[in-house]
Amino acid sequence: MSLPSLTVSAQWVLHLLTLLLLPPLIPGLINKVKAVMAGRSGPPVLQLYYDLAKLARKQAVFSRTTTWVFLAGPVGTVAAGLVAGLLVPFGHTGTPLSFEGDVILFAYLFGLARFLTVLSALDTGSSFEGMGAAREVAFSALAEPALFLGFAALAKASSSLSLSTMLLGSGLGSGRMAGPLILVLVGWAIVFLAENARIPVDDPNTHLELTMIHEVMVLDHSGRPFALVLYGASLKLLVLGALLMDPVLPRAPQAWQNWLLFGAGLGALAVAVGLVESMSARFRMTKVPQFLLAGILASAFAFLLLLV
Amino acid sequence: MLDVALVLLAACSWIGASLLSLSGKLDERWSRWLGLCGALVGILGAGHGLLGGVPSRLDFPFWHGTARLESDALSAAFLLPLHLVAGLGVAYGKEYWPLNHLRGTGRSLRFHFGLLVAAMTCLLVARHGLVFLLAWEVMAVCAFFLIGTDHELSEVRHASWVYLVCTHTGTALLTAMTILLARRSGSLLWLPIPAGPSPLDGWILLLAILGFGFKAGFLPLHFWLPSAHAGAPSHVSAMLSAVMLKMGIYGILRVSGLLPAIPRGFGAALLALGALSAVYGVGNALAQRDYKRLLAYSSIENLGIIGMGVGLGLAGRANHDPWLVALGFGGAVFHVWNHALFKSLLFFGAGSVLHATGTRDMEALGGLASRMPRTALLLFPAVLAVSALPPFNAFLSEWFLYRGIFASLSSGYLWSAALALVALAFTGGLAAVAFAKFYGILFLGTPRSPAASHAHDPSRAMLLPMAILACLCLGTGLAGPLLLPSLDRIVAVAAPGGSVPLGPGLGTDLRFLVGAETLLLAVAFTAYLWWRRALVPPGRAEFRPPTWDCGYALTLPRAEYTGSSFSDAWAPVLPGLKARIRRLTGNFPKPVAFRSEFRDVVGERYLGPRMERLAARLLRFRRLQPGYLSVYILYVLLALLGAFLWMGLRGRLLG
Repeated sequence: MSLPSLTVSAQWVLHLLTLLLLPPLIPGLINKVKAVMAGRSGPPVLQLYYDLAKLARKQAVFSRTTTWVFLAGPVGTVAAGLVAGLLVPFGHTGTPLSFEGDVILFAYLFGLARFLTVLSALDTGSSFEGMGAAREVAFSALAEPALFLGFAALAKASSSLSLSTMLLGSGLGSGRMAGPLILVLVGWAIVFLAENARIPVDDPNTHLELTMIHEVMVLDHSGRPFALVLYGASLKLLVLGALLMDPVLPRAPQAWQNWLLFGAGLGALAVAVGLVESMSARFRMTKVPQFLLAGILASAFAFLLLLV
Repeated sequence: MLDVALVLLAACSWIGASLLSLSGKLDERWSRWLGLCGALVGILGAGHGLLGGVPSRLDFPFWHGTARLESDALSAAFLLPLHLVAGLGVAYGKEYWPLNHLRGTGRSLRFHFGLLVAAMTCLLVARHGLVFLLAWEVMAVCAFFLIGTDHELSEVRHASWVYLVCTHTGTALLTAMTILLARRSGSLLWLPIPAGPSPLDGWILLLAILGFGFKAGFLPLHFWLPSAHAGAPSHVSAMLSAVMLKMGIYGILRVSGLLPAIPRGFGAALLALGALSAVYGVGNALAQRDYKRLLAYSSIENLGIIGMGVGLGLAGRANHDPWLVALGFGGAVFHVWNHALFKSLLFFGAGSVLHATGTRDMEALGGLASRMPRTALLLFPAVLAVSALPPFNAFLSEWFLYRGIFASLSSGYLWSAALALVALAFTGGLAAVAFAKFYGILFLGTPRSPAASHAHDPSRAMLLPMAILACLCLGTGLAGPLLLPSLDRIVAVAAPGGSVPLGPGLGTDLRFLVGAETLLLAVAFTAYLWWRRALVPPGRAEFRPPTWDCGYALTLPRAEYTGSSFSDAWAPVLPGLKARIRRLTGNFPKPVAFRSEFRDVVGERYLGPRMERLAARLLRFRRLQPGYLSVYILYVLLALLGAFLWMGLRGRLLG
């Protein structure tokens, strides 16, 4: 099937549809890869869609300790994730919303989502969720500089503060950029794993609450708010995944080829995450800051290389 | 003439309000209304100046010459938050600190409050070294009495004395600066100095940064600030933090604006100093148990951020980069406004909590969101704003600063911008931790003490000022593009001739940014509505079980996560926080206690003991003070003789 070159508005519609509908597929893929690696058949790839449909029909139960703040977490996560998804390019396919300085909004939107999630965890009054919240803020404060230093390096290289120019700009192809770019990607890969609560930072499957970070914060959510939590988490995988892949995706002449490339890249990323999860164990809590510091250092070196 | 007349009228109303409050016969209402009138007139005058009114001035004879009062855009930029916060503070203080509260301290509080506002108003329009210093001194002394309002507590007395010593050290430096400035320009009037290099410029700027830095709480000079803000009545803390600290920023902007050129290096140094202050302030805010102290440390953080903006602007002036000047100074002034809005809201909220529970200890609170629902709702925008999260106001001003930092990075001459970038990102992350702790431990979960479980919302008189500020926090965040022309006018005064308008370079991006923020609110609202539809199915009662908590049916408040454990991950990097843990030993260990305390590294750990030792040594001079009048007259005589001798011999000794 060969598509004609897509118009700008069609690109936008595609972007929006991808952003809205694709995210739940990624956790499904990751879980499938993990199951295959472990020799199981595993849940269907579309499992999260089924879960969301089921949760949307269920009644939510609210603890008597909670207030309206409890709802701010799920609602804020989804809203922030969707707006951030409009700012980030999905490969070389054009971004609906792009302006100088959008990268700062992008980073702070994730800060907003995290802040609201932490507050809604504290709203339950449960010590488990308090513990998860404390770990989340501690680790994410370390992930933030790694993300920002990477942005700084790319901004310096492309002389722009707009995500689409920074990630896809022509400056990235030059030989001088190869070293810093690899370092930035290493730093961001660590941020990607930490922010999405994946192994080796956090284990999304564990049932031992004392070792969890992100999952423990949402223990008390149910019904539609929980659907929003799950959807928000998968949205984050898509958006941060796009951020991680954009600089390495080649530019194809046709728009539909670019979309295909983006889809393939996303699939490869999901497989990679699944492989990492199958082959490594979660770090001890005390090791996690060191891992995140490695991310900061990688991004900082990239920045320094471009500064001198 | 109009603006300066309005501003003077405002100052007179505030003085009148403060005098009326002394009278025991008149009803308190008169003084309050006069103060509110003053605030309104001040806001009008400042607003007119910001919206394009021409600078107006008033000359009058003073001390062998003329003195000048002038209201321009830079003055107006600081007059606006001053009168807004002061007016709301007076309204709030009526219930918060009634006239007869604590053995009649309310009267002294009202008197000094009005005088403080009038002094700051005069300071902002003064264009004469001596008038400025006089107003500065009145402000400093009023603030001393205000901080010491609750003077029967020894910690409050101590805090106010430390403040007094610090502010006078600052004043001494500023006096030296004024003298140098007068030598440089040839008169005490503060007029733009004509171009031409002079070695004095560097010294003037250095003294200004040090002297005003004491007031603004830049890093090693901040130590007076936390206890002063924690001990003062909450609306006074709001006033000090939201307005008085900014007088330091105003001073640096004003004095540097007089100088024809900025020596190289100052901008980068101030940028680095601001970055360090920001990280230090927010790091220590994390460690606090006292929620008002937490807010005070967060003020150090925000003043550091403003200092970074000023540093960027100065660097831009030194390097003749008008775009950097506009971004730096514009971002700094914008953050001054934003900080004034959200920090006064936070202090008002903290005051309401203190009013309702009587404790400043975070670990004794919790669950206030269901007991004080209105306060909790109104403080929510403030905690998001102080963590610089979209769509609230502080995010926009930090966005300006990020743009400025990146602008200086890509032109490649500012190394400290790299430091500032990391610091600003890290500060944002840590501020979110500190204020998740503030809001989470105070308002969420279950109450940790009877005081917290019996708390209730304050009356409407205290809630209304908070509601106004909360709306302004969101409104300023969404109306950012409309403020650009006013910021341009301010920057043009702070950097005469060396800036470009922000609008052409920033306007479109800012509109997109605000559009994205509006979209965020719309999406959040849609998600909320979607949840709302499935709230409770009809015909079924709402089921509210206790928190699931992994199956523990009884959630004990004692088992809840505390504020200290929430920020425990950062304890190893906080030098001010010391914990004393005794290990359990033996088969039948005795009960052990855990104790942790926080003492500021500069003020309490380093300076405190040294100052005490110095004071003990100085006691030796007590021998000169025997208590006999005749001895003192002898001293006077000796001093006079000495003076005469010096006058007679000076000619011969010095040739």
